[in-house]
Amino acid sequence: MTVTEENVETLDVFGSRARAWIEANLPSWDDDEVDSHTLQNLLFDNGFAGIAFPREYGGAGLTLAHQKVFYDTAAELRRQVPSTYMVSIGMMAPTILDSASHEAKLRFLPKALRGDETWMQLLSEPRGGSDMAGSTTRLTRDGDIYVLNGAKMWSSGAYESTYGLCLCRSDWNAPKHRGLSMIAVPLQGTPGLELHRTRAANGNLGEFCEESFVDVQLPVDNLIGEESKGWSVAQTLLFHERNAVANIGYGYLGRTAARSGSAQRSNFGVLAVPEMVERARARGGSPEARQAIADAFIEETVLGITSGRIMAGMRVGTHKGQWGSMLKLQGSVAAHERARTALVVSGADGVIWDGDEVRIDNPGTTWLGCRGGTLAGGSNEMQRNIVSERLLGLPREPSFDRDLPFNEVIRNQGKL
Amino acid sequence: MNLELSEDQEFFRETTRKFLESEMPLTAVRELYESADGFDRDWWRQAAELGWTSLYVPEAHGGGSLSGSPTRDAVIVAEEMGRLVSPGPFLPVNVVAAALARAGSADQQAEVLPGLLSGEEIATWAFSEPGGHWDAASVAATATPDGGDIVLSGTKSYVEALGVADRVLVTARTGDGLTQVLVPTGTPGVTVTRGRSVDMTRRFGKVTFDGARLPLAAVVGEVGGAGDIVEHQLEVALALQCAELVGVADRTMEFTVEYGRERYAFGRPIVSFQVLKHRIADMTHWLEGSKAVSDALAGAIDDAKPDAARLASVAKAFVGERGPDIVDECVQITGGIGVTWEHDIHLYSRRAVVDRALFGSPEEHKERVYALLDV
Ligand SMILES: Cc1cc2nc3c(=O)[nH]c(=O)nc-3n(C[C@H](O)[C@H](O)[C@H](O)COP(=O)(O)OP(=O)(O)OC[C@H]3O[C@@H](n4cnc5c(N)ncnc54)[C@H](O)[C@@H]3O)c2cc1C
Repeated sequence: MTVTEENVETLDVFGSRARAWIEANLPSWDDDEVDSHTLQNLLFDNGFAGIAFPREYGGAGLTLAHQKVFYDTAAELRRQVPSTYMVSIGMMAPTILDSASHEAKLRFLPKALRGDETWMQLLSEPRGGSDMAGSTTRLTRDGDIYVLNGAKMWSSGAYESTYGLCLCRSDWNAPKHRGLSMIAVPLQGTPGLELHRTRAANGNLGEFCEESFVDVQLPVDNLIGEESKGWSVAQTLLFHERNAVANIGYGYLGRTAARSGSAQRSNFGVLAVPEMVERARARGGSPEARQAIADAFIEETVLGITSGRIMAGMRVGTHKGQWGSMLKLQGSVAAHERARTALVVSGADGVIWDGDEVRIDNPGTTWLGCRGGTLAGGSNEMQRNIVSERLLGLPREPSFDRDLPFNEVIRNQGKL
Repeated sequence: MNLELSEDQEFFRETTRKFLESEMPLTAVRELYESADGFDRDWWRQAAELGWTSLYVPEAHGGGSLSGSPTRDAVIVAEEMGRLVSPGPFLPVNVVAAALARAGSADQQAEVLPGLLSGEEIATWAFSEPGGHWDAASVAATATPDGGDIVLSGTKSYVEALGVADRVLVTARTGDGLTQVLVPTGTPGVTVTRGRSVDMTRRFGKVTFDGARLPLAAVVGEVGGAGDIVEHQLEVALALQCAELVGVADRTMEFTVEYGRERYAFGRPIVSFQVLKHRIADMTHWLEGSKAVSDALAGAIDDAKPDAARLASVAKAFVGERGPDIVDECVQITGGIGVTWEHDIHLYSRRAVVDRALFGSPEEHKERVYALLDV
């Protein structure tokens, strides 16, 4: 179904309809937090979930501009929106929409948009994450099923998700990028799948997991896109991921609202700007601390304005392509810098405390894991490759494995 | 520059660019280097005819903006000027026009604005003093009412186009408040010392007031009550300056990356080296952020947003740092030829380093951002 100008509700009309509904139905920021699943059900049942998805797949049949209006209005009215669907609805569902068969969309999307089933991505492997197309997870056709063998890691949220979208190799004689497939793997109670949460540097169990697959049997209908055409699906997924991380596109699901509201509270020791000011003032406010805090505020402000500009540019056509990568880079650099600023303003109190208990709610412990943001979702270096090559059209990095059959690439490894 | 320019604004941008390309190409900018004033008065009158000086002037005096939002229009010119490191007192003339349009008396408007509008006369703003701070607290020059007169004492520095200015809008102190006085440069007790800058064509100067006496009618706004209008002038100046820096950085990046595609080393274009590609990727986000924040500032000023003052400092801190950094990185990518007189990149570096310092450095604006965090 294509959306044409004429049959779409105007932004103004939608805006007032959304405003009235939000005012009457969504809980205030100041209320106790309502769980995300309940809220997502509420949005779905009233036609405000998957706003830019076609109706036949459970969406509202509108556009990304409508989606933005909805979440901006909720933020303006200081109302709670679901906070946990950035991956499932912001990244995975649009990938399914762009890549899956009509039947698969009918089967998966409505449940995903209602929040009743959740999706995450199984891309990175112990062998490496940046060179995703080098996947050595093996997918084999066996009669009318597929069999999966191999291992994934860094799988955020796998322990609590319904499905993982898994990148794997179905043809070992084809060149690297041409032998990959994408398949939906049920994550809960699947025979042959072993999954555990990885312990993070701060000592806690992380949100991310490691999985091993031993002869995991999957229905052929679980394939998303065609067999051995999985690379383009993966590319689509990464595009949506970078947009979601950059808070634009389908991933624009109210994160700004959360940021200006509840997330003003410190989160695992990453200090928000007002808290940094408080600490700096308490310590007499050295010039270095003042400059660093101002920098944090400036970067945050400019980032927000820049993503607004890029969303507008995408709407009017001045910005096409991989701008999400640029924003993702800008955001990751700023977040890392901010973790550093927290150390600057806190001094010794950021790393040493009174009492016997282990604590993780301090800038020092945050520092241990803050590089996660400059790696997850594609490292800063990979984003710089993308910005320079695909946004600016500069020459690609040379590669030594692009055109060889993948079997041969593996045989050559370590001989270069 | 705004992504959604109206047809009028787009036309304005086109004519501005064409005018600069044909009447003030870089070869002409270079020729002005030796000249005393740094720009040609006939050329400036032509620019005025294109509307460069009309944006803040009320329609009653023959002016008018394209969109009803003068700063949004003015940054279009400023950015184009940056792209070709154009000469001309665009910033000081427009800041004075903005001040008079807001706070000037009917007589002052009638007397001064037509000359600025036609390009016949030049006016400039004298705010900072030796030492170089652009904030109200640092104003030490005094304006003292005395009978029907106002008496000025003190020194103002870094005043753009002072050597050719017919009038100077002086920001001085009266007790705890600020007072602005419009001073003809020939007034007894006023001494102008001409100065130059690193920029090819921007000339500056220092002006000393030694008990210079003017009628109270020369005061713009209220005696001691000019704080708000001075803040507005500073915001307008910063918006124009940031837009100019965006133009400088944008153009420098364009020609540098173009050059890097053609320049070969080790059998490949230099911009195929990952270390340069990554630097260019970083510059891309600095530039896009600069465009976004400059744009937002122009809008915030004209819409009188409550956080406009803070945003002005956010913009200067960001663009004032990243703009010159982009040009600096481009010199490195250009290689040895980038530090010669022959290559045009130094024209851009010159404009960038002067803009970085003028109206407060990024470091000073970070202090102001910090002070305004509670806003
Ligand atoms: C918190 C967190 C959550 C994550 N969640 C998920 C998830 O849900 N699903 C998932 O699939 N993955 C996830 N990841 C994995 C993430 O995508 C990878 O960590 C990332 O892609 C880098 O891969 P790697 O860790 O194997 O490092 P490597 O790929 O081994 O890279 C190591 C270093 O080499 C650099 N490098 C590699 N290639 C190049 C190149 N071409 N040019 C320049 N430098 C290069 C990298 O930038 C990096 O600095 C997550 C990671 C983190 C930290």
